[in-house]
Amino acid sequence: MATLSINNVRKQYGSVEVLKGIDLSLTDGEFLVLLGPSGCGKSTLLNMIAGLETISAGEIRIDQRVINGVHPKDRDIAMVFQSYALYPNMTVARNIGFSLEMRGQSKTERDGAIQRVAKLLQIEHLLDRKPAQLSGGQRQRVAMGRALVRDPKVFLFDEPLSNLDAKLRVDMRTEIKKLHQRLGTTVVYVTHDQIEAMTLASRIAIMKEGVVQQFAPPQEVYERPANMYVASFIGSPTMNFIRGTLAAEGDRLGVSVWQDRTASDGGPCRFLPLHEAPAQADRWLGQEVILGVRPEAITCYDPTMAAGNPALVKVGCPVSVLEPTGADTITYIQLSGQEVVARIKPSDTPVEGEVADFMIDMGRANLFDPKTEQRL
Amino acid sequence: MSSLTSALPPAEGMGPRVARWGLYLILLLFAAYYLLPLVVMLSTSFKSLDEIRTGSLLSLPRDISTDAWIYAWTRACIGADCRGMAPYFMNSLVIVIPAVIISTLFGALNGYALTKWRFRGANVVFAMILFGSFLPSQVMLLPMAQTLGFLGLAGSAGGLILVHVVYGLAFTTLFFRNYYVSIPDDLVKAATIDGAGFFQIFTKIMVPLSLPIMVVTIIWQFTQIWNDFLFGASFAAGGAQPVTVALNNLVNTTTGVKQYNVDMAAAMIAGLPTLVVYALAGKYFIRGLTAGSVKG
Repeated sequence: MATLSINNVRKQYGSVEVLKGIDLSLTDGEFLVLLGPSGCGKSTLLNMIAGLETISAGEIRIDQRVINGVHPKDRDIAMVFQSYALYPNMTVARNIGFSLEMRGQSKTERDGAIQRVAKLLQIEHLLDRKPAQLSGGQRQRVAMGRALVRDPKVFLFDEPLSNLDAKLRVDMRTEIKKLHQRLGTTVVYVTHDQIEAMTLASRIAIMKEGVVQQFAPPQEVYERPANMYVASFIGSPTMNFIRGTLAAEGDRLGVSVWQDRTASDGGPCRFLPLHEAPAQADRWLGQEVILGVRPEAITCYDPTMAAGNPALVKVGCPVSVLEPTGADTITYIQLSGQEVVARIKPSDTPVEGEVADFMIDMGRANLFDPKTEQRL
Repeated sequence: MSSLTSALPPAEGMGPRVARWGLYLILLLFAAYYLLPLVVMLSTSFKSLDEIRTGSLLSLPRDISTDAWIYAWTRACIGADCRGMAPYFMNSLVIVIPAVIISTLFGALNGYALTKWRFRGANVVFAMILFGSFLPSQVMLLPMAQTLGFLGLAGSAGGLILVHVVYGLAFTTLFFRNYYVSIPDDLVKAATIDGAGFFQIFTKIMVPLSLPIMVVTIIWQFTQIWNDFLFGASFAAGGAQPVTVALNNLVNTTTGVKQYNVDMAAAMIAGLPTLVVYALAGKYFIRGLTAGSVKG
């Protein structure tokens, strides 16, 4: 149980700057997920917290203690590797107890701790086996057992689920979540999987090219992404980016959606009133903006719902393609000629090639600056 | 593999069968060609001198006599010293066993440091060590003679051990380095976090994983050092000479009647240990040579 703070941390390899000033701070028991594509520096940051990489500048503190120069074994952290990194020559029991062995604990003390962890992870029957005799899921459990046994202040996970098959991955994800709820230990978890990030994290730090793009709870990251990169990285299908101009119609502020002249069946240029005005709306009036709308914020038109919620705006659009997924039907529609994806209930599915009425929940819309790609 | 070949359709007609037997015949001829000297040596070593003089070279012994072996082992004269091959055989063991162990252990340590603790310039150091395995051994004679003299080890078993360790390190380092490259770095990282230091990771994790390459290195080093003649002849004096030098002296310095049976027995004695090592550890040798090529 510990706090973790990362202050203006940088990492350079020669003249290449991999991490460009990272600031993150975790309260006790938080579950931080570092999310980003490969090469964004998330694993480097994790290795720096672990002490496996040196810190070029800045400082990392665990419980207020600066750990920059502290040896990994004295940082009171434990790490689970993507490859599990189990010692092939040792039994499961010795693998789990190795860190205690290195710290000079007696055999009886170690056995007690190993039994406790094995019971927690339900691997008691595997203790005498070698790693080569285990399945992927079992190896994963042993790797977690090895981290748990020392009761560290901070757990570090480096893409721990990416070597598992899809079904097992979902099971282990839930298990990690349960484990965290039970133990309440501070966790830093690296992944490139947005679902893992959304389901596990208490806060997500989305990284790109060595810079944290947004550091916020999952729901906030999803609903109010800091920029277009974050908006497109999280959510599937990705958020729609609709090009238009911020305009006023009467006393209402809204986005005048651009007409795509290249599209043959584009509808008329239309005005979508905003539910809430962005900051500095005056400055943006008449300027180009990008309207970000999640696919599930566009649904089939329902007059009773629309009457009760002023944020719902009715639009009639031609339907180009339908992709049923079972739970929802992904529907591609033309909004003023721009292609927009909607997530429609299968019972409401419109007909391909025809014009149908939809409603956009403008209360869930985001506006972005097309030049800086930042949220307005 | 067997299931694969049995699943293939059988060859049809006489042609392939004739070709196959032809192949076996050629292989048998080659085997005979290589085995013949050994057969002649063995059979001669079990003959009496009279039989050697009267019989043909290739005939098998009529009465098997171990006299020549006993004579070669206990009484044959090596120069003026008539105690047989036994003391020299012991000399070789005293040189070979520590030299093999030390060069193997240091090779493992070097390979470990070069792959898992990649310090600045590790590749340059490795390239220089690798270069050592291309050096002809004659190049080392003069500088090594000076070094041994300086250290006060000239003419002793200790001196020869040092020579063989130094010369062998290039090879053992190469073997272990290439083997350890295939062991994942995450193991070392995990062990570091678990609290193990440089030597603990080496002894508790790397060495237990090294059996295949350990066997390859031991066989290689044992064969090289046991069969060495040049260093033995150059740096060992009189009673400290290894068995290879003794064999040469025995064969080349006898006076009077040439005792072929004793010469052959002595040669067999000198060559036996390497054969034994191959027989005992040969299957690990093949396994070790191919280790890393297939993911285990």
